[in-house]
Amino acid sequence: MSASSEAHRLLPRPLLVTVTVILCAMVLVPVLYILLASLNSDLGVASGEFWPGSFSVESYGRIWTTADLANGLVNSILVCALVAVASAVLGTMTAYVLVRHTFTGRLTILRGLVGLQSIPGTLMLLPVFVLFSSAGNYLGVTVVGTRWGLFLAYLTFALPFSTWVMVTYLRGLPRELEEAGRVDGASTPRILVRIIMPLSLPAIVVSGIFAFLLGWNDVLFASVLTRPGTRTAAVALSAFGSTQEGGALPVYSQVMAAALVSAAPVVLLYLVFQRYLVGGLTAGGVK
Amino acid sequence: MTLIIIVPLLLALYLSLIDLDQYTLRRWLDAPFLGLKNFGEAFGSGLPHAIWISVSFAVLATVATVPFGIAAALATQNAYRGRGLVRAVFLVPYVLPSFVVATVWRTMLQPDGIVNTVLAKAGIDGGLWLSGPKSYWTLILVEIWAAWPFIYLMALAGLQSVDSEVYEASAIDGADWWPKLVRVVLPYLRGPVLLACLLATLNHINNFTLPYVLFGAPAPDDVTVMPMIVYVTSFQSLRFGLSAAMAIVSLLIVAVPLFVYLRALRLDVHDEGGRR
Repeated sequence: MSASSEAHRLLPRPLLVTVTVILCAMVLVPVLYILLASLNSDLGVASGEFWPGSFSVESYGRIWTTADLANGLVNSILVCALVAVASAVLGTMTAYVLVRHTFTGRLTILRGLVGLQSIPGTLMLLPVFVLFSSAGNYLGVTVVGTRWGLFLAYLTFALPFSTWVMVTYLRGLPRELEEAGRVDGASTPRILVRIIMPLSLPAIVVSGIFAFLLGWNDVLFASVLTRPGTRTAAVALSAFGSTQEGGALPVYSQVMAAALVSAAPVVLLYLVFQRYLVGGLTAGGVK
Repeated sequence: MTLIIIVPLLLALYLSLIDLDQYTLRRWLDAPFLGLKNFGEAFGSGLPHAIWISVSFAVLATVATVPFGIAAALATQNAYRGRGLVRAVFLVPYVLPSFVVATVWRTMLQPDGIVNTVLAKAGIDGGLWLSGPKSYWTLILVEIWAAWPFIYLMALAGLQSVDSEVYEASAIDGADWWPKLVRVVLPYLRGPVLLACLLATLNHINNFTLPYVLFGAPAPDDVTVMPMIVYVTSFQSLRFGLSAAMAIVSLLIVAVPLFVYLRALRLDVHDEGGRR
């Protein structure tokens, strides 16, 4: 047993320890500083303390009035949750059609699903912005600055990704299961709801979570398509961070606290769904 | 589905051919047609510089993350007590949203920030990280910090596909760890890591959030990457037509690695088509 595990060992023990320690330090030292700074006072951080002179959670209380964070978090959660549900449901249905039916252009669509994930966001933003603003000019419907506009914009990115996640999963489901259902006389929607969806629940959850994260992490679209009332946590945090510079007393401790609060939902999602998500990370290559 | 992709692309192409600014935006269908003039102006302005910055930044960041990623994958392949924790730690920079990473590094890299304080204690003058020529290296360093776990994940997936018999065979041969690593293990990693590099390079080139939050817009000249120049031209200079032309050019540049990636992936799709 021990001889076999020794054979599997890729690095000699001292090297393994060195590599692990260096990499962990590289990650943890900045993260530890962020955590400590958020528990410090603004004065302490500004004077360059690594270890706080005194610990307090005061910064976590103050950010709700100094930064526009509460509003941002609510907007982010509303928009991203809706994107997650919509793209998981629509993605599952689209993927089912793509996997189970052959038709001309099917391969092109499959390739498009992957390709679209690498199209520069700036390229998509321009036409989306022009279309949205002309909906205001020509049709009298305000889209720019509303949560619905942001939702639509995110859906264009999230839907192809969710569909791709579902395609890779549904390909692995045996057809016999559906055929059994069909023999019993079940219709396609019924098969989809009763057989496919329960079986692919983990994949549906993953595709929804990634759609959520896509929206949560976006700054580009949110910075253009929102107004102060509808801006997301990402925009609120960036604005809060950049307005601190050059002031009399920069509130860096509060910036760190606000950053950690905006990261919390994402970290939480990863902790809960870690097992499913890591596989998805390598499948799609989307952060 | 196809509509969502094709319509904006065609529209972007049309926008790049017209004189669209804040005045003509309200009635953009009537904006004057310019032909290729926008493209001419794009190449006469900062675009070639931005292309150079983007491509060199993306390639450098990718190359630099590979050793970290592979080392981390090798170090966590064999089970030991606490490995789960180490793996979770390795994922932290990747899980944190880009805008959070950029905000905290921006704060730490302020002239009077913690990084310079620590450097000063070691007798080094950190100077300015967020403006001037050093900003380019700041961008690369922060990107490396945030992006290496992706290579790690892909390399780990590659390692898990190595048959355990392979290790046993090489152990019987009495191979030392280094030749074993180079001759037996690393060849298994070439495919997944190359694929990871391709995807990582694409992600670096398209990364707007990191430079935008780290440096603000307009960014210093040394970090004006392609997404940045497109963004500034449209939403600060309000020259939408010119900016669309720049965006089209940046798509063409991204298309090269993207095409290679899709070719590599095509095999999967065909396989699948054959099996069904």
